[in-house]
Amino acid sequence: MDRRHFLRMSGAFCMAGVALSGCRTKQHAQVLRDDQADLVGNKAAGAETFGPLVEEAVAKLLGRHHSGLQTVSAPSQPLVVCFLGVENKSSEELGDFREQLYQLIDTKIEQSNLYRPVSRRYVDAALRETRMRPDQLFVPENMGLFMATLGRYGQPINCLMYATITSGTTHEDNAYQRDYLLTMEIVNVHTGDYDKESAKIRKGYERSRLPGPIAKSGFFSWW
Amino acid sequence: MSRLLARRLCWLLTLFLAGCATHADRIRDARLAFFRGDLDQASRLIDQELERKKSDQDVLQLEQAMVRLAEGRPDEAEQLLRTVRDRFDHFEQKHIGEQALSMLTDDQVIAYAGEDYERVLIRAMLALANLMQGGEDALAYALQVQQMQQQIMESATLRAGEDAKLSYRPVALAPYLHGVLAEQTHRDYDVAARSYLHVASWQPEFAAAQNDLQRAQFGRHSAPGHGVLYVFALVGRGPYKEEKIEVASTVSLILAEHILRATGMHKMPPSIAPVKVPALVVPPCSVQNVVVSVNGRDCGRTETITDIAQMAKDQYAEVYPQIVARAIVRRIVKKAAVYTAKEAIDNPVAGLALDLGNIVWDFTESADTRCWALLPAKIQVLRLELPAGTHQISLRANHGGITSGGGGTAWVQIADGANTYVLANIPQDRLVGSLVTNRHGFPPKAGETSR
Repeated sequence: MDRRHFLRMSGAFCMAGVALSGCRTKQHAQVLRDDQADLVGNKAAGAETFGPLVEEAVAKLLGRHHSGLQTVSAPSQPLVVCFLGVENKSSEELGDFREQLYQLIDTKIEQSNLYRPVSRRYVDAALRETRMRPDQLFVPENMGLFMATLGRYGQPINCLMYATITSGTTHEDNAYQRDYLLTMEIVNVHTGDYDKESAKIRKGYERSRLPGPIAKSGFFSWW
Repeated sequence: MSRLLARRLCWLLTLFLAGCATHADRIRDARLAFFRGDLDQASRLIDQELERKKSDQDVLQLEQAMVRLAEGRPDEAEQLLRTVRDRFDHFEQKHIGEQALSMLTDDQVIAYAGEDYERVLIRAMLALANLMQGGEDALAYALQVQQMQQQIMESATLRAGEDAKLSYRPVALAPYLHGVLAEQTHRDYDVAARSYLHVASWQPEFAAAQNDLQRAQFGRHSAPGHGVLYVFALVGRGPYKEEKIEVASTVSLILAEHILRATGMHKMPPSIAPVKVPALVVPPCSVQNVVVSVNGRDCGRTETITDIAQMAKDQYAEVYPQIVARAIVRRIVKKAAVYTAKEAIDNPVAGLALDLGNIVWDFTESADTRCWALLPAKIQVLRLELPAGTHQISLRANHGGITSGGGGTAWVQIADGANTYVLANIPQDRLVGSLVTNRHGFPPKAGETSR
């Protein structure tokens, strides 16, 4: 009798399993708490990479603030910085992260009280008016014209700031390691002095037949 | 009485031979009305079908979106496309109940999740529809196109190996739009260059990509006091599906039945009904390109950025063997069921009734011809740098050197350092609906020049 009951239950579970696996699932979502870890992108960098990179690079740059640049502004005054954006020189697309990286860096700089970023809307308007490319601004005449334009908007600047994402990839059989480097570079427009800081994160990608959580645990990595 | 019975049987036979009406039959008039330029009629016919055939509502909404876009209502088109995109994403997962039922009926009982090319193009059309309203979300849609392509290519590779990638030519329109939007910031030239590099490698025939790349790497969006006009043209009649008889499979099934009968399986039900499958039809594209005139002067011709017809053909060729295989498996399942029933009953009269029932059952099958039938054959584009101000834009369809003047005219506003977009739908020799733009201009008053 017990065996019959067991078989019946097993059959019911199997049927339920087949039925559930054959039904369309609904997409669900949840708000992640601050203490919950980010998902780890298995094909490219994501929040788990860019978040810490920005944190570290900006913190390092701000930490060296006083020892770094000679400025024309009074020592107590925050430096007015024109942040020109995030340049992607890595082998991956930034996709929708590009804008978020810009906003994250801009917000952190603004909150530091050591630098005062110029609103992006002024920067964009000046670039549009002068038709300068960000990489052309180091030609003295171009720089003069750009600064004059911002000055006309009531936004005189002390420094230009760039952020650059680069990557380096090392292959080994079915696996590869990719190092992501975020470099923050700040240039004094009056003296030409510059300072830069970087943050690096290394990620390993591997193709595995094991299910995700088991593969990630590394328990069968010897296999 | 016997005459009445004979007449009824004749009717029944005609009905079975004709088969049930497919989606292709039901949407034919609406397609023709759209290509004629009769948008009211097309819209009315699609609405009628929407009321009658709820199960086809997703593809019908796609057709309705194309009508709305041609009518100059990109906001409504975007809303419809967004709804269908989300539903297709949901239906992409297989439902075991539907799959099982489809083995007893036909593939039309399976909720339609769109062909791979349709799922990519929904996002591309969303990007275009959004550009015509200012383009706040166009970048997001362009990124979605690239994500969807990546996803499709990965699942095709898992399914059929690395060779499957060859059938999936990516849509170059997506990186192109990404580049166009990045360039307009006057800041993200590196993004623009990266995007145009993709365009150049994915659509090598698109010669303008080299200029775009050069400009993004070393040039600028436009000279001071100038803006840029992008003319997007949806040209030609796109691919659609029609029911066809798979002759080789039908003959193979008949031969298989004869062989089985010869080997002693006398109760095998007869194979009479043809195996029907959906075939992709690609109408010839008579429109070579579109000549764009600004203030009465010819300024250039559009170039193909995405060849939808070719893309659909390649991808459909990849999945076609699976469609035929499903149709054959369905027949085998039905035959096996009838054969088992005949074995169990073992009565000649009941056996005959079961054979007749099986024939009727086979004849009721129809091919699943659901598809997005109002797609264009090609998406073409032309970039023009123009002085800021109001300009009159006229289009003419070019049919191998002969141009027809029904491409439409519109006044548009070119803003200093910004992009203006114009969208035209030219499936045959003339514009369907109106020219759609994100910056409408007005003709200058007497005494003013058009700048």
